[in-house]
This record gives sequence, structure tokens and C-alpha cells, in this order.
Amino acid sequence: MIEVRDLRKEYGDFAAVQGSTFSVERGEVFGIIGPNGAGKTTTLKMLAGLIEPTEGTVQVAGLDTDDADMKRQLGFLPEESPLYEEMTPVSYLSFFADLYDVPKNVATRRMHETLDRLDLDHRDRQLGDMSKGMKRKVAIARSLINDPDVLVYDEPASGLDPLTTNFIIDFTTELAEEGKTIVFSAHNLFHVQSICDRVAIMNEGAIVARGPLSKLREEHGETTYHVYTSVEVPGSVRENGSYKRSVTSMQAVEQTREAAADRDGTVIDIRTEESSLEEVFLNVANPDRAGTASSTADERSADSEA
Amino acid sequence: MELRKFLRIARWEVTKNAGGIDRRTAAITVGALVVLGVLAPLIASQGVALDSGIYRAGVDESSPYHEVLTDDATFAVHPASSDAVEEGRVDILIEGTEVVDWADSAKGRAALAELRSAVQRFNDQLMGQDPNQTAASPVSVTLRYVERSLATTQSAGDGGADSGGSDDGGTGGDGTGGTDGSSGSSDGSDTTDGTTGDTDGGGDDSGGGPLGGLGGLAGGLGDGGTSGAPSDIAPPFPFGSLVLAFVFVLPLNFVIQAYGSTILSERINRRGELMLVSPVSRGDIIVGKTLPYFLGAMFFEGLITVGLLTLGAEGATGWISLLAVTPLVLLFLGATFLGAMFARSFKELTFVTVTITVALTSFAFVPAIFTDVTPIALISPLTIVVRDLQGQAISLVEFGFSTLPAMLTAIVTFGLGAGLYREEDMFTQRPIPLKALDALSGRIKRRSSAAKLSILLLPFVFVTELIAVAMLFAVPQSFALPAILIVVAVVEELAKSIHLYAGFVHRKYVRTTRNAVIVGSLSGLGFFLAEKVSLVVQLLGGDIPDVEQAAFLTGGAGPAVSALVAIALLLAPLALHAVTATASAIGAARSRRGYVVGLTVAIGIHLAYNLTVVSFVVG
Amino acid sequence: MLALLIQLFIAAFSSFLVVGLTSLYDPGSVEAAGLEVGVSGDAATELQEAAREVDGIETVRFGSPATAMAQFQERRVDAVLDGRLENGTIAVTATVPDGSIQSTLAVVQIRTILETLERTERVERAQWLDRPPLPLPQETSASPYFGFTYTVLVPLLLFLPPFISGSIAVDAITEEIERGTLELLRVAPVSLTDIVDGKALGMAVLAPLQAILWIVLLGANGITVRNVPWLVALVGAASVLVVVVGVVLGLVTARRRQAQLLYSILVLTGFAGLALLPEHPTTVVAKLAVGSATATTTATVVALALSAVLLYAGMRRYVRTLDPERY
Repeated sequence: MIEVRDLRKEYGDFAAVQGSTFSVERGEVFGIIGPNGAGKTTTLKMLAGLIEPTEGTVQVAGLDTDDADMKRQLGFLPEESPLYEEMTPVSYLSFFADLYDVPKNVATRRMHETLDRLDLDHRDRQLGDMSKGMKRKVAIARSLINDPDVLVYDEPASGLDPLTTNFIIDFTTELAEEGKTIVFSAHNLFHVQSICDRVAIMNEGAIVARGPLSKLREEHGETTYHVYTSVEVPGSVRENGSYKRSVTSMQAVEQTREAAADRDGTVIDIRTEESSLEEVFLNVANPDRAGTASSTADERSADSEA
Repeated sequence: MELRKFLRIARWEVTKNAGGIDRRTAAITVGALVVLGVLAPLIASQGVALDSGIYRAGVDESSPYHEVLTDDATFAVHPASSDAVEEGRVDILIEGTEVVDWADSAKGRAALAELRSAVQRFNDQLMGQDPNQTAASPVSVTLRYVERSLATTQSAGDGGADSGGSDDGGTGGDGTGGTDGSSGSSDGSDTTDGTTGDTDGGGDDSGGGPLGGLGGLAGGLGDGGTSGAPSDIAPPFPFGSLVLAFVFVLPLNFVIQAYGSTILSERINRRGELMLVSPVSRGDIIVGKTLPYFLGAMFFEGLITVGLLTLGAEGATGWISLLAVTPLVLLFLGATFLGAMFARSFKELTFVTVTITVALTSFAFVPAIFTDVTPIALISPLTIVVRDLQGQAISLVEFGFSTLPAMLTAIVTFGLGAGLYREEDMFTQRPIPLKALDALSGRIKRRSSAAKLSILLLPFVFVTELIAVAMLFAVPQSFALPAILIVVAVVEELAKSIHLYAGFVHRKYVRTTRNAVIVGSLSGLGFFLAEKVSLVVQLLGGDIPDVEQAAFLTGGAGPAVSALVAIALLLAPLALHAVTATASAIGAARSRRGYVVGLTVAIGIHLAYNLTVVSFVVG
Repeated sequence: MLALLIQLFIAAFSSFLVVGLTSLYDPGSVEAAGLEVGVSGDAATELQEAAREVDGIETVRFGSPATAMAQFQERRVDAVLDGRLENGTIAVTATVPDGSIQSTLAVVQIRTILETLERTERVERAQWLDRPPLPLPQETSASPYFGFTYTVLVPLLLFLPPFISGSIAVDAITEEIERGTLELLRVAPVSLTDIVDGKALGMAVLAPLQAILWIVLLGANGITVRNVPWLVALVGAASVLVVVVGVVLGLVTARRRQAQLLYSILVLTGFAGLALLPEHPTTVVAKLAVGSATATTTATVVALALSAVLLYAGMRRYVRTLDPERY
């Protein structure tokens, strides 16, 4: 459905996107994750035909991005929802329905259906007087007014309260289940984890890893083995009456077992733990920190939430 | 571009703002206008004499000058006392018919000069009331403007016979002594029509200061007084035209306020982004957003035209005025559009709008003042309007000469602005000079774009040079000629190279000397071609005054030169433009400082060339 | 910075107006260089005599109007005067070149010649007149720009900064509202009144400073402006008045477009309406600057200053009643 080849965007001396290639199948949910300034938004805007690539091509449903037919099949949701404050949801949506050549009766029906699903009342209130969450819902309704096959959503749930965030994530999941092709970006990895079929991780303008989540975990994540022993061994901590040592390789597990045996102890239990997407992401984004994974990962995520 | 789409956007723009300009605003606007309407007659009855009481005169009632001074609002009259001037209580002291003392300052001398003209006016009025008109008005005059052709000698046989002005001394005319065809058209060698002259001895039309007495719109239409008493004849300074011109420009300044706002607000908080992803083209958006303001402005201009027609502009067609004012409306909107694409905030937009108001008003307004004086006035479309309202005929060539440069400039400003109407440029906050470079570099696709941009910028060059000509019109020719040549060199070199610099800065052109030579030559070629086209237009245009000829002579051959020289003169500009543009380009390829050096060299070469050609052809 | 540039631009434009328009108004000031006038007809002698009294005029006498016109076409003479005696008066047909600066100059010079002739003739015929004409005072080398400078240029330069200040005050307020920054006031330790005070006073102070700058610049160009403190007070009062109008409009409408439109209309209406005062502020400026102030002049300044203070206090009261959350 979406074919991206050698996509590159330069602003003067600065390359915001440095040669991305990927494709998205029909009905797939594709997530682009990465830190701020990684080039996610630039990539999405090139998909939507808002920005002209310096090099490379983007095709959506076999059409070039400057094709009006392609634009008619695409729904774009920008990160912030700039609206015309003096309009009401109804007048705003009808205006865009007109621009997308949606017949009037179809537009009215679709508009109210979508707003019903989004649980939005106050359809005659000025947009300027609405809360952030309501504005975002109107923006989402606008992205669906032309019943597009492809949705390009830039951080659809950022900056909203948790309730609305969950609502919007659920709504997006529903859209995916209806068979829409969705490309979206996020830095809140929890959302990606819950709905994405495949992800690409971007850092400093380049895609540094891509694939289904399980595959990324295998390649860039690591398995942590928590070895519980009956006696204290070097590097272990006391936990619930036994001692726990966390290691990352089978060799280390073996060493631990030997060390316990030396001290007349036994291994009580070994538990394995897979990396979260967050850890994969941090490993990919910063290869040097691999190995010190789990201890700092928690701190980092704590930071980002703060 | 799709008709349905941009009409939809235009409708949205109107309805959105109809909600925006609420009833309260409309009510206050109407109220203010009503108050103005009520005040106008009151103020008019009081008279807007800006200069009332700025001079103080000491004079006793016994002096015959006392009556003169009390009649003249410019003077505040004080009792005479011998030391009044020394003590600074008055500027001028009169005893009897003798000015005995005046302040030794600019003010004192100005007061004396004002007194002299006041006495002259008083005398004229006095004589006008005298029963013996032969003794009171011993001299009558008929003024004729006769064209002297530039190169050939015209037989002067005709002309003298008609309109002798024989019935001397005022038949009580209504003051509309309209000159007809005082310039321009080929047959217009004789320009007076009949005699009018004021019964009250005239003189009253020369006072009042630059803004005094806005009344007499219709009477002011043909103010280039052509016959009557000696004091009735006046250099062609159509005060009425001036007022008219102003009336036409005034509403545009309000329209561009609102227009600039709506364009800039699309750029604030990325509002315009969503329309850019929808299946409408940039052109649709821009045309749609502009159309309501264009139609609104044209509606105002139409109202004004209808108003002036009903006020009694005899012989005016009206539609020619409306047609001539169209490019001006577009120019105001185009410049505002570009300005709104440049501005980073409303504050900057206010400055930009003020600049546009001042610059374009002077472009449209100042030349129109000279409507009856010189064909240079034709550079402003308003001149056509004024002429039409005076009931003069306008040839197609004159119309084209007047409106095309403004029209083309308007199109170019819209084009450059449209180049910025995209995600990458619209929402970034860059200083205005950098934005200007962005606008130019947005139009660069390949190396041949250098030629295209030079052609595109030619209307700007043309209009700027014409404005310079108009501005230097009033100064002595010995100073004006070199000044014009310098302006021409600077403006043309800038237009040929600024987009090359933008191209190098934005890496559209690779920074090599070879590249610089190529784009420089292309730019020169483009400029040369465009200049030739405009030259043809000018030759069609016919009589161009001396100063203006000097400005454009450098682009082509003058009359009465041999064929070989003519060819050399035709091709020399090509070499010149290519060489100078290359010089700037080589500098621009290096650095900013390099560009300044290159440009200076180019201007130097251009100036030297111009001086050579002008001294060769003229001298 | 940009503000100053624009002001300079306007100043350049104004000085062009001074030179350009005034020279048209009194074109004799541009060039007194020689004008060759062809003279013909039976009143030629009188015309030549009158021309002799005017500086820079050379006359050439021709036998017939036709030969004079031929010479005119050949550019040997710059203008032609043909005088005939008709019913005891002199009827002159003056021919000047069309469409150049020369025509303007020629007309002015010819007018001077003919006015001289008229005066001479009137004096000769004084016995038939009810009341003889008054003698003209002596000529001086006065600057023709003098009146224009003080009545148009100085008021323009002094009133433009307040007008722009008010317009920027509108922008400053509406921009905060449109960008949503006024909402942040809820958590900031400043009140709406503080913000408005800061913006309004900043703008109001700018205009008198610019006025002082202009006065200094004019002084450097040899144009002495008198009563500077009064003028600064007047500009200050005017700028406070328009800034109050701008701020209130900005707060009431909360939208730039409406506010700017209303601002322009109301301020222009108000400015025109001030003509109902005994002295319009432009006249006040002219009289103060030229040094011909009267009691009415200074009273007007005091009245304007008082109303400025009152209106500013009124504006603050209004702002205190506002809840920043409504934006």
C-alpha cells in the first residue's frame, strides 16, 4: 500500500531523514518510533505529500504524493491539531468534506456517525472554546471525513489526559481492525506495543531497526536470567529469603551455579525475562549502553514520564 | 486550478469572517462612518486651515495692510509696538504701508514672503470688484501647451489661430476650464478650450495651503488654469486629481489590513497545514483566500467610480477607470500576500503593511499628481483614472504602458509568495531577508532558472526605475541624469544577481566558478531578452521624456545612428548583462562578502557602460 | 529596529514630498536659470519692459506670431508671448512647451512677467479705479518650504509614531490572546493589569522618544523646532490616548482583524473629530513648533494630557474587571 524508497530530506546542511526505505502492506499497522528530532514527523509529512523529499520516492496505493487522487485516499492527523477557532465542528467538517469532494449527504451522515463513535457532543460550539481532547477528536473526525484507506497519524495521543489517550488508542485499534492501513508515530512505546504489527525505529534521521516486534526483541533485546540461590554469591541480592543474581548469558548462569555449589548452596530457581520494546528502543538508539540494560532502563522510563 | 474548489475556499473565507467580523464590529464601523459623515460638513464649514496663525504680525488698524492681514488666516494680528519684533512677540511689524521690521530668521522672511503674496491676492480681489474692468484687469492671458516633437521639426503653421481669448475679463465661468489631451496622443498640439476666468478676479484658488479647501471636486478636475487674469494661470497642478487619486487608494489600505491578517493567521499555529494535505492545489487556496478581498476592493472602487460619475465627472467612461485600477488593487494584495508570507508575527505584519501602504501609495499617488504635466505620470495606473475622470481619451498603448508593469509586478509578487506557501517555508520563523532568499530559491529548479528569474524580476526593475524617474522629475536635469543612471545600474544588477546568490546559499547551484559563469550568463541573457520586449513596448509608446529616455537608452539604440552602430548598440547590452551578472555570480559563489564585492564591481561596470552610451548617443 | 527603518523610510518619503510637491506648488524655487521668451504682437514692447524686471528672463522680439512659433518648434526659444491691444486691454497668448518640467517653470516665470505687466498697467490707469491697488512689500529670499515644513511635515512626523504605537498595542494584546499565552497567567505571579500596563506603557513611551529623535534630526537639518517640552507632552498624550483605544479594542474583540479595523476607523474618526476643538492638534503642533503658540494652544495640550491620564485610569479599571480565563 505504501512504498518508500531511499527517502531523504535535507534542510540546508542538515539531513532530517537520511535515506529511509520501507513498505507497508494493506491493512497493516506500522509504527515509527524514536526520540524527538529523529525525523519521524518529517517522514510522515513526506508520506502525506506535505513536504517534498530531497531524494527518493513515496508511493501510496501506486500513486505519487502530489497526485490529488492519492490525497483523496489519505487521512492525515498532525501532531498538534491546528483548527479554525471561529468554526464549529459541523461547519469545519463540512468544509473539509467539500475540499475532499465528498457528496453533501454522504458527508453529513459520515460526520455524525464518526462524531457519535468519538463520543463528541457540543457540535455547534466554537472550536476555540473546546478542550484539547475534544479538539483532537474533531481533528480525527476530519481525518476520516473522506473515508480514506490510509491513515497517517503523527503522535495521535500525545499531550492528552490518560482517559482520552486510552480512548484514542482504542479507537485507532478499531480502525485497524476495520482494515485501514495505518502509519503512525509515537514516543510513548506502550501505545505502539499494543497495536503495531511492525515498527521502525528512527534515530538521528535514519531507520536503525525495523520489523515485527518479536524479531526486534530477538535482535536488539536481551534475555535476563534471574538466578535464585540458597546462599549468597558475589553480585547477588537478598530477596524473599533467597538470593537473586541477574545475569545476561548462559555462561554467567553456569558460573553462578558453580559459585553456589562452592559455598554449599544450590540453585533454587531460574527465571528468564524478555526486554520490553522500550529497552530494545534504547539499545538501538544507543548501542553503547547494551549490557547495562535493565538497571538503567527503569530510570530512563521514569525520567521520560516525569 | 479548479473553479469549484477555489470558490468553495472563497466562500469559506467570507463566512468564516462573517462570523469573525461580528455584528458589534460592524455596528461600531457604521457608527464611526456616520459620525464622520455628520462631522464632515461641520469641519468643512470651519475650514481645515493647517497653517492658520503660524505667523504673527504687528499692525495697527490704521494701516491699509490691516485688512489684508485679518483676511488671511495664516497671520495672527497683534497691535503694533516698536519693540515687538525684538521681544519676539511678533515676526513682522508694519507701519502704514511700510514693513518696518521683521525677525531676522527663516520665519521672519517666510512671513514677509507670505505677506507679499497676501497683498497680491488682496489686490486681485479688490480689482475684481472694480466697476471699470478695463482699468482693473488691463491684461488677460490665454495659456497654450504646445508639443515640441523630439527629433523632427513640425511645421508650426496651425495652432495660433483658434481660441484667441478675445472676450476678456470673465464671463462668469464655472471654473471647469478642462484642458484636453495636454500630452500623449500624437495629434494633441493645441490644448486650450475657450475662455473662462472668474468673475471675482480669481486668486482665491491659489491660497489655502497644500490641504486647504477640499471642496470643489468637480471644479478641481481641470485645475491647470489656462486663461484669465495673469494670476489665474497656474502650472498644471491638478489639485482635484490629487484628491481623486487619494480617494481611490484609501480603501485599499483597509482591505490589505484584513487580507494580511487572514494570510498570516493561516501560518500561525500551523493552521494552514491541513488544507495543504487535502486534494486542493496551492493555487486554489491562494486564489480562494484572495478572491473575497479582491472583489471587496473592486466593489469599493466601483462605488467610488459611480460616486464620482454622479458628482459630475463629465465625459468619463468609468469602466476605463475601473479597469485601470484593477492592477493597482492586485498589486496591493500581491505585495501584502508576499509580506504576510515573510512576517513572523502580527507586529511584523503591521510594519510590513505600513511599508506597503507608504510605498505603493507613493507609487500610485505621486505620479498621478503630474497627470497634466508629463507623460511620466503614466507610470501610475491612477493617472489613467484621473485622465478618464477628466474626460480625456486614452489610447490603448498608454493604457498598456500604465497598467502592465503594475499587473506584472502583482503577478510576480503572488508567484514568489506562492513559492513560500508550502509546509517547509510557511511555518518556519526566519528573519525577513532570509525569507526573501527562500522565496527566490523556491523558484530555482535547474540552472536555466537563472534566466527565468531575471525575466520574472524585470517588472520590479521597471517599476522601480520608473518611480526613480518620477521622484527625480522635480530636480534639475544636471543632477537627475547621473542619479538615474546610478539607480538603473544598482537596480538592474541587484535584480540579475540576488536570485543567483539565493541559489548558491540554498545549494541549488554548486559553488564553482564554472557554475557561476554559466548561471551568470543565463541570468544576463534572460534579462536582456525581457528588456528587449519591454523596449519594443516603449517604442510603441512613443513620446518618452528626456530623463526617462536616459534611463532606458542604455537598453537600446537611439535615433539617428548608423546601422552598424545600431547593431552594436543592440548587442552590446547582451554582453554587458552577461558580464556583470557573471561578476556578481562569481562573488556570490564564494561567500556573502564575495557577493557584495562582485555586485559592486558589476554596478561599476554597468555605470561606466551607461555613461559611455549616454554620452555617445546624447552628446 | 524594523520600526526605525520604516520610520526612516517614511521620513525619506516625507522629505520627497517636501521637495517634490512644494517645488510644484512653487516651481520657481527649483531653477531660476535663464528662460528665453519669444515676444511678438503690438504689445511686444510692454511685454519686454515687464520681462526686464524679472530675473533670469531673456526676450527675443519677432515680427509675427508665426515666426515666433517656428523658433519655438526649433527650440531656439522656450516660450512665446503674443500680446495684442484689444479694447484698451492687453490680451496675451502664452505658448509653453508641453509635457516637461520646463512647462511648469515657464508658466511660473510667465505668470511673474504678466503680473508685473498688470501691476504697471494698473498703476498707469489708477485714476479710473475706485481704489488703487496696495503697494507690494519688498521681496525676500524666503524658503518656499517654510510653511509646508511646519504645517505638514512636522505634524506628520510627530503624529505618525503614536498612530503606529497604538496599532502595535493592538497587535501585542491580540497576539497574546491568539497564541493562547494569556491563559498561562493563571499560574504566573503577575496579573492581567500588570501585563497590560507593561505593554501599554512600553508602547506609549516609544512615541515621544521617536518624536524627540525627529526633533533632533530636524534640528540637524536646519529646521528649528521650538517648545519641545510642550510638543513631547502633546505626543505623549496622543500616544497614551491611542494606545488606550488599541488595548481596549484588543481586549474587547480578542481578534486582531476586528481590533485593527476598528482601531484604524476609530482613531481616524477621532482625529477628524478633533477639528471641532478651537485648535486642531495639527495646528497646535504647527504653532508650537514654529513658535507662535497662543493661550488656546497650550490649553489644548493640557486638556489632551488630562484626558489621556483619565482614560488610562479608566482603562486600568476596566482591565481589573476582566478575568484572564475568558481568553
